[in-house]
Amino acid sequence: MEGEMLKGHLDMIVLAVLSSGPAHGYAVIEEIKRRSGGAFDLPEGTVYPVLHRLEEAGLLAARWVSADSGRRRRVYSMTKRGVRELGERRAVWAQFSDAVGSLFKEGRSWQSPA
Amino acid sequence: MAEPGVISEFVERLARELEFDASLARCVRQEVEDHLWEAVSADPTADGLEAERRAVANFGDPHAIAAQFVVVSLAKRGRRVGLGAIGVIAAVFVAMKARLTWYAAMAYSTGPMGALGGAVLSIDRYAFWLSIFVGMGSWMYIESRRIPAALTPQYRTQLRRFLLLCWVATGALGASVISDGVLTALRLSGGRWSFEVLVPLVSVAIEVACAGGLVASIRGMTQRTASAGRLAAMPRV
Repeated sequence: MEGEMLKGHLDMIVLAVLSSGPAHGYAVIEEIKRRSGGAFDLPEGTVYPVLHRLEEAGLLAARWVSADSGRRRRVYSMTKRGVRELGERRAVWAQFSDAVGSLFKEGRSWQSPA
Repeated sequence: MAEPGVISEFVERLARELEFDASLARCVRQEVEDHLWEAVSADPTADGLEAERRAVANFGDPHAIAAQFVVVSLAKRGRRVGLGAIGVIAAVFVAMKARLTWYAAMAYSTGPMGALGGAVLSIDRYAFWLSIFVGMGSWMYIESRRIPAALTPQYRTQLRRFLLLCWVATGALGASVISDGVLTALRLSGGRWSFEVLVPLVSVAIEVACAGGLVASIRGMTQRTASAGRLAAMPRV
């Protein structure tokens, strides 16, 4: 999928992944790849500015935990505001998707004014 | 065992690219390092060095990633400066009230304030109220802005507006603090001098320090906005 097209929806994609439960950056990226069947394949680093921006906007909360490897890991979770925001974005996306879908529908007959 | 260095070099470079925000650089460095090592351990190939190289290549260009963090850093700093401005105005108010309470408690006999004192008192009052309203306004303004994915011209304009409001609030606060200094000098000039007069003097010094701190903080934000803008202007991944 086109990178620029994807970037425009990255906030929503990240929020959608985190709506399933808290996760760290690597897990978020892996989940995006898995759920999209590999179609969303961005440079992995692109997700981190998004996570930090959503945290700054109050849509995500982050906390440091110790991973099994002993390394410190930053885990993100949705805030109430994030859940609300995702709901709103989902509704807008559904509307948009329906509208574009009906434009692409084949088999519709229309007559040219010419 | 993988040759050490590929990942550490990468995170070092990323941290250098993020040097416009030291605390963000520390946080991102640790986070990215964890990410890259996890990618290495998930790599099915046995070649550790190759896995490190692949993890770094999949992560993207550090410069381009740092450029995407610019807007996060500016938003964070802007909110901090806005909140700091309110804190400073509150601290000046407390110092002002503490001084007046001290005058009343000590029944401190003051020198004649005269017409000059009256005029300065009016300036003090209006300037302080102006700093409160504009300071609150600047904080509410920056808090209500949506943080964009990149440093857009629109967000730059919003940051410039916010900084302008901050400077107006600081200017008004500065005028109020100077007026406080003049009023304190007028009061003390006619009164008795003793060790106790250190109390009002210290309270004025606190006000000056607070206003000075605010100026430094807004100046830092102004410079950061300009320098970070140059980094963000580089092409994205």
